Amino acid sequence: MTGPFEVALSVVLLTFVLLVAVLTAVVRDVLTAIVVFAAYSLGLAILWVLYRAPDVGLTEAAVGAGVTTALLLLAISRTVRPLDGDTFVDRRSVRPRSLFVVALVAGGLLLTVPALPPVGSVETPAFGPVAEFYLQDAAERGIDNAVTAVLVVYRGFDTFGEVAVVFTAAVAALSVLGREVTG
Amino acid sequence: MTRTPFTDSPVVTTTVRLLAPFVLTYGLFTLFHGTTSVGGGFQGGVVAAAMVVTVAFALGIRQTVDWLDARALWALVVAGPVVFGVVALAGIAFGGGFLQFDVLPVAKASVYATEAIEVGIGATVAAVVVVLFVHIADGYSEPTDVAPASGGPEEARADD
Repeated sequence: MTGPFEVALSVVLLTFVLLVAVLTAVVRDVLTAIVVFAAYSLGLAILWVLYRAPDVGLTEAAVGAGVTTALLLLAISRTVRPLDGDTFVDRRSVRPRSLFVVALVAGGLLLTVPALPPVGSVETPAFGPVAEFYLQDAAERGIDNAVTAVLVVYRGFDTFGEVAVVFTAAVAALSVLGREVTG
Repeated sequence: MTRTPFTDSPVVTTTVRLLAPFVLTYGLFTLFHGTTSVGGGFQGGVVAAAMVVTVAFALGIRQTVDWLDARALWALVVAGPVVFGVVALAGIAFGGGFLQFDVLPVAKASVYATEAIEVGIGATVAAVVVVLFVHIADGYSEPTDVAPASGGPEEARADD
C-alpha cells in the first residue's frame, strides 16, 4: 500500500464496494440483488488481495461470489414473483421502534471505536513478540505459508472447532431440508 | 415466467467444459500446497466445490446429481473431523500433547501433519457445499420435466 497506483485502486474499489453494498439493499428485483451482491463479494476479494491477504481473497471470491450466489439463485428459483402492486412490504413505512434499535446498535458499536489502538501503532498485538515467534518457528518447521502454520499448528484447537462447526451446520441444515423434501 | 438457473447456451456449456479441468486442478493445487504457497484446505475445497456447482448450473443440475455418488460425498463430509481428530490424538499416542505434531515419528512431522489436516478440511468443506447444493436443488424440476397441465413443483408440494 505504498505506490500511488495501489492507493488509487483501493479508493476505486472501496467506492465500488460501498456503492454495490447500498445497491444490494435498495434494488427491488431479487435476481438483481443477488448479482449485485456477487459483485460486492468480488470487489471485496480484490481488496483483500490488494491488502496482502490472498488467502482471505481466495475464500471470499469462491464463497462470496461463487457458492453463495449459486445457492441464492437456487433458492429464488423456487419462489414466485409477486404481481405488480401486490408487494409483501410497504417500503416507505419505517417503524420508529426499528429506527431506535438501529441507532442504539450503531451507537453502541461506535462507542467502542476509541478503545482501538491507532492505525500503525507499535502497541498492537500484531507487532508483539508472538508474531515474530510464529514467523521464525514456522520457517524452522518447514512451513512457508505462515497463515497455514498459524491455522493448523499454533491455533489447531480453534481450527478443529471450525471444522466441527462446518460439519455440525451441514448435518443440521440437511436434517431440516430432508424433512422438507420428503414430508 | 419462471426463471431457470441453468442455460442451454453452447457458449456457456463449452466454456464450462473447457474450464472445469483447470479449475479443479487449481483447487487441488491450493489444497495440497497450503504449506508452501497461498491457499489451504478451506480455499482448495471451496474452489473445487464451486466448480462442481458451476458444472451443475451449465450442464444440468439433474445430470450432475446423478453423476455424484451420495455415499462418497458423505464419506468426504466426515473426513475432516475424523482426520483432524486422528492426527491430534496421534500426538498423545507418541508421548506428546493433543495437537502436538513434532513428537510424531516422521521426517518434517509438522509439514505432513498440517498437509493431512488440510486435505481433511478440504474434503469436508467441498463435500458440505456440494451436499447442501444438491439438497437445495433436490425437488427442483427442470422445465422439460414440468408439463404445464400437471402443474409445477409448487402445486405438487401444496398437495402434501
